[in-house]
Amino acid sequence: MNKFKGIGVSAGYAVGTAVVVKEASYDLASATFTTSEEEKASLSRAVEIYTDDTNKLIEKMTKEAGKENADILLGHLVMLSDPFMLQQMQDQIEGGKPAVQAVDSVCQTFYDMFSSVEDEMMKQRASDIQDIRISLIEIISGVESTKIEEVPKGTILIAKDFTPSMTSRINRDNVVGIIAEVGSVTSHSAILARAIDMPAVLSLADATEILKDGDTLGIDGGKGYIYQNPDNDTVSELEKNRQAYLDEKSSLLEFFGKETVTKSGDKRLVYGNIGKPEDVQNVIQNSGEGVGLFRTEFLFMDRPALPSEEEQFEAYSTVAKAMGEKEVIIRTLDIGGDKDVPYLGIPKEDNPFLGFRAIRYCLSNTDLYKTQLRAIIRAANFGNIKIMIPMVTCVDEVEAVKKLISECELELAKEGVPFKENVEVGVMIETPAAVFIADDLAECAAFFSIGTNDLTGYVMAADRGNANVSNLYSVHKPAVLKAIKTTIETARRHGIPVGMCGEAAADRDLIPTLVEWGLDEFSVTPNSILATRKTISECE
Amino acid sequence: MVEKSTKVVDEQGLHMRPANNFVSAIVKYKSDITIIHNGNEINGKSIMNIMAACIKCGNEITIRCEGEDEEAMLNEAIALIEGGLE
Repeated sequence: MNKFKGIGVSAGYAVGTAVVVKEASYDLASATFTTSEEEKASLSRAVEIYTDDTNKLIEKMTKEAGKENADILLGHLVMLSDPFMLQQMQDQIEGGKPAVQAVDSVCQTFYDMFSSVEDEMMKQRASDIQDIRISLIEIISGVESTKIEEVPKGTILIAKDFTPSMTSRINRDNVVGIIAEVGSVTSHSAILARAIDMPAVLSLADATEILKDGDTLGIDGGKGYIYQNPDNDTVSELEKNRQAYLDEKSSLLEFFGKETVTKSGDKRLVYGNIGKPEDVQNVIQNSGEGVGLFRTEFLFMDRPALPSEEEQFEAYSTVAKAMGEKEVIIRTLDIGGDKDVPYLGIPKEDNPFLGFRAIRYCLSNTDLYKTQLRAIIRAANFGNIKIMIPMVTCVDEVEAVKKLISECELELAKEGVPFKENVEVGVMIETPAAVFIADDLAECAAFFSIGTNDLTGYVMAADRGNANVSNLYSVHKPAVLKAIKTTIETARRHGIPVGMCGEAAADRDLIPTLVEWGLDEFSVTPNSILATRKTISECE
Repeated sequence: MVEKSTKVVDEQGLHMRPANNFVSAIVKYKSDITIIHNGNEINGKSIMNIMAACIKCGNEITIRCEGEDEEAMLNEAIALIEGGLE
């Protein structure tokens, strides 16, 4: 037995037989030119066949995976309907190129145009044109790739990459899992796999070579593990997990799209935490009632320079639009501490967690901070955005942020750039100082959100990563619980909403206590939304 | 030849659906249509070329029409862009 790890993009377990999808290997250079009439005729025949095929697939997809997934294929038809693209192909044929080469080179031109722009939608179009190219060449040349729609029952499909037209051919009765060499959580194939509830592992390097036709494979689509020719124990373990997963899934399904209500009829909210704009889809798919924590660090990390206001605006407004009227709480830059951003040149500190981080850094670098605030209040026009300040220890910090926001409002108004006035500003309660002055903070904050991960560390003065003291790092310690209780009570006394965005919000053992104390909003990783709603609804 | 500048209002910019709606509406005119964006001249009857130009919401574009029905074409094109194409 061999065990491999890729990126798990669609949870679930399966054991099945490997079918490696062979791409049509057609040597374009070997194509011979007949006459331009014949080449043009075979091009238009191919377009016709492709259109018919795609229309059938659209019908199938609409039924199986919803209109949104079918729209990708509809897009292919729209693209191919461009008379100028076809004209270019025909011109090349006139110039003496065989039809396959004409298709290849025109598609390549558009592929290059689309993929040269750093933009999610443009990248999608680049992969669409790739898909069109492969399909047309296959039809014209008559060389076929593996017939995905005809694989036997219990198949696990392995491919270099799954294009939309490949995934749409998958027969759910026969295919039990998919594996690809490339891709991530946001790839088309990942979105589709989740929509049809099929375990999927992507980004498994050399999968089409390591895994062989006929291998027995086990797949854990949540953790991203692949077992090649698993032993009996592993197989029965996977089967057991599969059953447990399905049972859990069906018991959670009844909480989908429902409000979060306790047994006594008290309404609470379950939100999702996200780190990237595209994660918002996970919140929606798990029926989150809002975004309780949008971490903005990703925009600043793993890159050579600061993101522009436009880039940030794009990211924030994407999430706001996707959530519509539902709340989106954006946490302003929480940099420093253990999150190093080389180009900012923050000097190394002996005690980074007690050092120059988060709001402390931002208030000393107001140019950088105002760029972010401007982007946020502009994006607020497109949805229900709120601002949350991390690492607050004094009231002054909140006042300073509010003053900066007023400055941004004035500047934007002067520039004639649309923005939303008076976006609510809340405070993240994650330091003991914030708990002690909660009464004063509640006077100037629109809401509280308890960040239990840092709060636990600061209250217990214990580093979770240090094995010698990690036993002290627990949200269940009386001191941490007391800090949480004080915060909730203070918020309630002042009539402001209070949420929690640390891991503790999804802690089954803690939820009943939090409900009893009156926590309004539980923000958890999107995958835990339904389970959290279920636990809350079982509370009094 | 007639031309006029305007601003794109569609949230998505001139991407798939807006580009498709734009082309479907103006293809009935005989004149040639060019969209000028960032100094690039784009064939306004080609969905692929419009999408590839990556024209975003708020971007300034100039539309140029040339041919027998250029006036009517320009008027409709500008109205389409300014009215939103989603």
